[in-house]
Amino acid sequence: MTNALSLCSVSKSFGGFKALDSVDFSVAPGEVHALLGENGAGKSTLMNIACGLYAPDEGHVELEGRAVTIAGARDAAAKGIGMVHQHFKLVPAFTVLENILLFNPGRAPAEIAREALALADRMGFEIDLDARVGTLGVSEQQRLEILKVLVAGARIIILDEPTAVLGEDDGRALMALVRGLADSGSAVILVTHKLHEALYHSDRITVMRQGRRIAETLPAEMDPGRLTTLIVGEHIVEEPEPSPHVGGARIRLNQVRLAGDGGRKGLVDVSFEVKDGEIYGIAGVSGNGQNELAEVLMGLGLPTGGSIEIAGHGDVTGAGPAHRRQNGLACIPVDRYRHGLAGSIGVADNFAVNGALAGRYGSWLWFNRRKARAEARAAIETFDVQGVRSLGQKAALLSGGNAQKLVIAREFQGAPQVVLAHSPSRGLDVRAGAAVHERLRAARDRGAAVILISEDLDEILLLSDRIGVLAGGRLVAEFKAPANRSEIGAAMVTHD
Amino acid sequence: MTSASPAAPAAKTRLRLVPLLEPRQSVAEGLRIGIYVGSLLLAVLVSVLLLAGAGVPPGDLGREIMTTAFSSPRALGSVLAQTAPLVVAGLATAIAFRANFWNIGLEGQMILGAIFASYVAIHDIGPESARLLLMAVAAALGGMIWVAGPGLLKIRLGVNEVITTLLLNYVAFNLLLHLLYGPWKDPVSAFPHTEQYEAFEKLPQLGWQNLTWALPLSGLLALALWWAYSFSRLGYLVDLMRSNATMARAVGVPVLGLSVASILGSGAVGGLTGFAIAAGIEGRMTQDFFVGYLFSGVLIAFLGRNHPLGVVVVAFFMAVLMLLGQSLQVFFGVPSALVQLIQAVFIICVAASEFFLTYRMHWRSAA
Repeated sequence: MTNALSLCSVSKSFGGFKALDSVDFSVAPGEVHALLGENGAGKSTLMNIACGLYAPDEGHVELEGRAVTIAGARDAAAKGIGMVHQHFKLVPAFTVLENILLFNPGRAPAEIAREALALADRMGFEIDLDARVGTLGVSEQQRLEILKVLVAGARIIILDEPTAVLGEDDGRALMALVRGLADSGSAVILVTHKLHEALYHSDRITVMRQGRRIAETLPAEMDPGRLTTLIVGEHIVEEPEPSPHVGGARIRLNQVRLAGDGGRKGLVDVSFEVKDGEIYGIAGVSGNGQNELAEVLMGLGLPTGGSIEIAGHGDVTGAGPAHRRQNGLACIPVDRYRHGLAGSIGVADNFAVNGALAGRYGSWLWFNRRKARAEARAAIETFDVQGVRSLGQKAALLSGGNAQKLVIAREFQGAPQVVLAHSPSRGLDVRAGAAVHERLRAARDRGAAVILISEDLDEILLLSDRIGVLAGGRLVAEFKAPANRSEIGAAMVTHD
Repeated sequence: MTSASPAAPAAKTRLRLVPLLEPRQSVAEGLRIGIYVGSLLLAVLVSVLLLAGAGVPPGDLGREIMTTAFSSPRALGSVLAQTAPLVVAGLATAIAFRANFWNIGLEGQMILGAIFASYVAIHDIGPESARLLLMAVAAALGGMIWVAGPGLLKIRLGVNEVITTLLLNYVAFNLLLHLLYGPWKDPVSAFPHTEQYEAFEKLPQLGWQNLTWALPLSGLLALALWWAYSFSRLGYLVDLMRSNATMARAVGVPVLGLSVASILGSGAVGGLTGFAIAAGIEGRMTQDFFVGYLFSGVLIAFLGRNHPLGVVVVAFFMAVLMLLGQSLQVFFGVPSALVQLIQAVFIICVAASEFFLTYRMHWRSAA
């Protein structure tokens, strides 16, 4: 059978950095081909070449066995290649139909509408063409993205980490949809971090590492362990390590309340304390008060009742972020590009903000850039932040794992006494996630009180010395490590 | 814009070149400057062609530029006298833009600044020796008051400042007309402008050509702001805030304070722009002293990349362009709108050059 799309010995460099090194990749009609690899392994670059955003330095692209040049995204669409990006390319203020029209200019709306409905029907979902996209849920938006490229006549469909934004049920439904696409004759490329998607929902698996294709294999020949080893190039197994020494209470929340508004649950009488040298895990199903608790701890939202105390600094209930951070609080926020880093300014300037506010680099009238840069360089070394080509490089250009390491490097400067880590390994590959965990353990072992909020129960069980369960904005249960997984799971779905 | 032009219908020629656009990963400083300079050169070329079309031969244009700006101390003096208020106008705009506050109300703030300064002058407030200083303080206060409303609305309610600052220009203008046709009409000539300021109410002469202290003072202001933005913690934090205000707030940067200071600072310097013209050039408040400065201020801040020293350089060339426009009008009958057209050409060229900072283009032969 002729491959629908082949990338033949493709290489690509960015300013001396070899992102792709002679990579071969192909996908056939009716096939789901999973593409795995760590952040920065070259998956995105490879797919950007497939959909015409980048031109290869060496090698070429073949469609149905014929060498072609793809001149940009529109040309790719005209040649039947459809890319569904991780971050949707939709106009929220437009209706579903208008968004489809925008992607298929020059065709009659009535014809598009007919075709879209027929395609949706064949794929087995319903869609309201007149609904505003802004009012749709994430999974509906994703279906719209897929529909959009199908209407454009895509026969090769690239899905970039499609389930990263979906919940478990929606993720399963999407995998069924993906299979349906392949059964109807499309060639599907599934870029993913999730091993089980590759193992159970694909026909072929390609693993990339450091710009090279490491393996092309079949799901039947793989298991999660072997796949992980292929992806990271070494055997990474994390084991729980109990705290070496637990001290006195460092931070204490007392009946903390936060009024909910709209769909938000708020917090109801949340009380717990975290001791020096201890990781306190907060487990719970997403949307049960985790974001609110993080905001209250960071000082971004003021509680409507109760109190927060930090030992040695007294009551900080009404204090803003600046005051709390001066008193030994460090935060690894859940959205590192929103709360953690300023993307359009340099790596060193992102690192320096804590020190600058604390007066390390001079008074209000003087900013000692030289010192800030020297310290940034040292911290980047210490915390193993990779991919920093210059200290002035924009932070947005760092991969997820390295961006997170940069946040940690900054937050751990000055040995904080209290660390808040909110889903610190979300979106990171296995190796980067393990490195983050190592940092949290190290902070604990030197005596910091660590609060770990995570929706990933495995992460909670792996790291925590004690575990609190958040459900409906209440702290419904507490467990000591080693804790029973199913008991925690039962507490997570408690209804009052 | 992520796509190149679509492939032309398959013409079976051997050598068909198609442009390929790639998003850039990063931009080297040299390339950034090269693209900027290239866009300026293109703008110059387009402007020369436009003027040639309007009946100004390029040779005459060159001579005219020399005569207007550089041929004599007198010519240079006029350019520098015009440069001073433009520097202040550009700085006022840049201060706001740097803090992501799109202050399009410079003319309103200039008017209020001049009104407040004139109030001090007309009512003889304070001793004569301190009068000028009091007028300057009053002008800064007037500009701050005029921008405070939009600033408050933006910070508290998220009201778009482009609209509020812009509309307040018209309110200020009508207030100005009311004063000039009413209580403040010149009692000597009965014309709609204030009475002449006393000698001690005007900015003192420098003693070279007709230059006043407005020029060195505007230069000092630019230097002070250059220090603040490039070498102080204040400027560092403002840039951090501009990049990501949510993150800045989360890490404890006093975002509210920096925003308020930037907004009020912009208004104060806007008020001083009005003062610089009223007390530095006109010697009184007229009904049209502010005209054109809003657009010039935005242009100067934009072309100067919101950098205080960039503002100074661009303001100088803008002054040349303004005076050149006047002489072309007189000697070649070129319409006055052509000067604005040339300004617009520069904005379009520089704005469009951003595209080449975002994308790399290379040509490939299509198979």
